[in-house]
Amino acid sequence: MAPSLPVPPYPRTVAVCAAIATGLWFALSDLRVDLWVGLLPFFEWLETTPLGVIGKTWGAAFAVVQAVHLLAMAALGGTVLVADGQLLGLVFRDRPLPDLQRQCDRLFDRALVLVVLTGVFMVCAVAVKVYYLEVFWYKMLALASGVLFVYLVRRPLLRCDGGSVAPATRRLVGVASLMIWFSVAATGRWIGFSG
Amino acid sequence: MNRLIHDFALWVDTHAWSTALHESYYMYNWIESTHVLALMLSLGMLFLIDLRMLGLALPDVPASTLARRLNVPMLIGFGVMIATGLLLFYAIPVRTSQSLWFRIKLVLLLAAAVNAWLFHRRMRAASADWDGTPRAPRSLQVGASLSLLFWALIVICGRFIAYDWFDCAARPPAFIATVAGCIDGQVQF
Repeated sequence: MAPSLPVPPYPRTVAVCAAIATGLWFALSDLRVDLWVGLLPFFEWLETTPLGVIGKTWGAAFAVVQAVHLLAMAALGGTVLVADGQLLGLVFRDRPLPDLQRQCDRLFDRALVLVVLTGVFMVCAVAVKVYYLEVFWYKMLALASGVLFVYLVRRPLLRCDGGSVAPATRRLVGVASLMIWFSVAATGRWIGFSG
Repeated sequence: MNRLIHDFALWVDTHAWSTALHESYYMYNWIESTHVLALMLSLGMLFLIDLRMLGLALPDVPASTLARRLNVPMLIGFGVMIATGLLLFYAIPVRTSQSLWFRIKLVLLLAAAVNAWLFHRRMRAASADWDGTPRAPRSLQVGASLSLLFWALIVICGRFIAYDWFDCAARPPAFIATVAGCIDGQVQF
């Protein structure tokens, strides 16, 4: 028997609405600015860590890590495209949904770890610079949304009741996922053009 | 040879569109972003196919089915890469044509293309008896590993083009200057 969603429908709806309300309140309140100001010492500290020092002084190492970041992005994007392509009925329509999704999930997890690790290294090297870049924070927000979406919405939803999700819901998840991960990659590339 | 390439680059550089593209903040960066984001389509599909051959991805999908289905999106991805890549070269012809990393990248691209051609020939020749097994035969595994290696190096070289370590303007050592195609007494960089 495949597991159902861990949270019943009513509390689920309440939780999502509460999360959206909290997000809006955070975006509009002074807390957002206070938090940003409070984070400056942390970003300054990042540059003094061994990772920050290596990234700053050894240009070739920084460039190689950037390239690995791109390679991991390609792997992550590839699994997202195949998994979402199946949800949208573009590829592997004849393969069982939960099987292919689970196999893609495993690759996705590994690629995500690699992307985040290389990303942390890159941030350490240019921490104060990106701290003042709007597009960096957009990317972090997009990334956070992506991670929350994958682990709290997409996977529980597609795994419940043996993957028998309504076709419309399935397509919606696919489109949302594509949009989120495209935003993450595009804002990420734009960090390099800013500042 | 280097002089010929340099003359060609100087000629491309005289085009008004080349300059316009180079100087357009949004157009140039959009093309550059498309070039990078298309990696998810081209290399993303390529990685899945290669990793499948090595038994590291999507073990339940028959290898030849995976390779066949992902081939079209992968080729579309590579089409976008080539188109945007040519535009990026067109925007900055002189410096790019004298970039050590750009030249290594072109050689590696050629190697990757030959490897892909051999890989496909071997895959067609191989019968379907290994299709459902987690790993492909050894010869295909070697091809897949080489493909992963070449493409990793290609991305690294591509990223390195952005750095000016060995630019002709920085007067690199003689050997590097020759490989990069620096011309004695050149005035345009």
